[in-house]
Amino acid sequence: MTLSRWLLFKIAVRSFLLQASWNYRGMMSMGFLYSIAPGLDCIYDDKKARELAYMRHFEYFNTNPYFSSIVMGVTLALEEKYKSGDKLVNPEVIHNTKDALMTSLAGIGDGLFWDSWRPFVATLAIVFAAGNYKLTPFIFLVLYNIPHLYFRFAGIYWGYDEGMNVSKKLRQFMFPQIRQTLRMGTLALLAYLIPNHVNLHTPFLLANLRLELFYFGEKVVQGLGALVLVALGTIAYRQEVNVLLISFLLLIFALVFYHWGILI
Amino acid sequence: MEHLNINVYLIVALIGGIVDLDSTAVIQCMISQPIVAAPLTGLILGSMLGDYAAGLQLGLMVGVILQLVWIEKLPLGMNVPPDAALASVLSVALGFCAGHNYSSYAEREVCYTVGLLISVGLGLLGRSLDMFVRRLNTNIDSWVNQKIEDNNFDSIRLGHLIGSFTTFTKAFIFCFLVIWFGVEPLKYFTKMMNIAQSGGFIVVQGLLPAVGFSVLASMCLKSKTEIIYFIGGIILFTLLPSKIWIGIIASFMVMLSYYSKTKNRKKGKK
Repeated sequence: MTLSRWLLFKIAVRSFLLQASWNYRGMMSMGFLYSIAPGLDCIYDDKKARELAYMRHFEYFNTNPYFSSIVMGVTLALEEKYKSGDKLVNPEVIHNTKDALMTSLAGIGDGLFWDSWRPFVATLAIVFAAGNYKLTPFIFLVLYNIPHLYFRFAGIYWGYDEGMNVSKKLRQFMFPQIRQTLRMGTLALLAYLIPNHVNLHTPFLLANLRLELFYFGEKVVQGLGALVLVALGTIAYRQEVNVLLISFLLLIFALVFYHWGILI
Repeated sequence: MEHLNINVYLIVALIGGIVDLDSTAVIQCMISQPIVAAPLTGLILGSMLGDYAAGLQLGLMVGVILQLVWIEKLPLGMNVPPDAALASVLSVALGFCAGHNYSSYAEREVCYTVGLLISVGLGLLGRSLDMFVRRLNTNIDSWVNQKIEDNNFDSIRLGHLIGSFTTFTKAFIFCFLVIWFGVEPLKYFTKMMNIAQSGGFIVVQGLLPAVGFSVLASMCLKSKTEIIYFIGGIILFTLLPSKIWIGIIASFMVMLSYYSKTKNRKKGKK
């Protein structure tokens, strides 16, 4: 093990720029090579061998950015073995391992972060925003980035220390259960938000209800009205109606009902 | 009505450039998410124009809606989602710059709501610009490839960092132009409306979160049983007091019970 912990940390920091040159040919190819370059420089003293390593890694690369440091760690561990003359490791093995790992981590990482963690934290933040909490953006940033930074920085050490066995380490997290649990949490928060934060008011209650019943009546009308609107919106969205068109239809609905005096 | 200082336009463009970098190119700590980008823009513009509380409040309102509207659009593989970061910055900037000087609440709200609706379209335009930048990066990638074949390895760093520069420049120019040309027409539109019409836009603003909630519900609901529980939950929360802690505790209880149930099921299978 020739790479220092500090150098691995620097590579993890460089991975923050992974997608700076995202493109349709190599996707994150330049970003990956840019990130691991200090590691390759350290492993290969010989200029020719180093250049060959650079060329090996200037190839198609695409994974979840937060999990990319795991692939970087594994790649550098394999490069080190190759340099030391390990017969089991050759450029083809390095390429295939990198390829398999980036594909599986793209699935796990995108599912966990984009599809589950971000919606959950965003919905939680929206609960605070709807209550007009000024620190809402800060709450979102802190909560969201705890697992992000954990995987980004711990990942490079896992990859480098465990090498091809890193998948055993990742399996302990039970990602599918975590994702489903986050989805349930998001739904519960959404069920709270819908009746409380769609503002729907009608003048009829004020005219027809006693004051002590008015607030309760207002809440019931708002809750049920919001439920109907969200149900219609959900059906339309699932029928692939564009969100811009749904917003426009809502605008027309609101203006017409306001004009008729049904909504205020 | 006073005209805006050039510094305001430049600050909006700068915020746009920075949050757009975060959305894909650099760091991705999610300051580009509407729930962060919109309040941040509102706070900075509000401070510059003398009413930071109003700016922040507008930012939170815009952030909630835009966060939900595109929550299902994911940056997976080749897919480029609508540019929610730029839409957030521009929605707050357009609405606040056009509306902050109006003394009437209704006129301000018209500016805010129309700014928000325009920004949804601008987010889609932002996606096209993002795709253009990625095509530009593809040319840079080919250039770097050529240089590597000529044994020039310094080009990797240069080519890679040029990519982030193009992203920033694209967002900077786009935001600058939209604010430069967009504020006055929005003010003009608001002036044309009478108070009776303006009230309708306040109703629209109140109902708009329903669109975002629909998108999120569509994304999360997977089975009929879940739909039934979900509707039951909405009715229950309609009857319960509107307290934030009730929603949060309920969510954590649901997660805890679901997680322990699935964990036990997994143990049982073993």
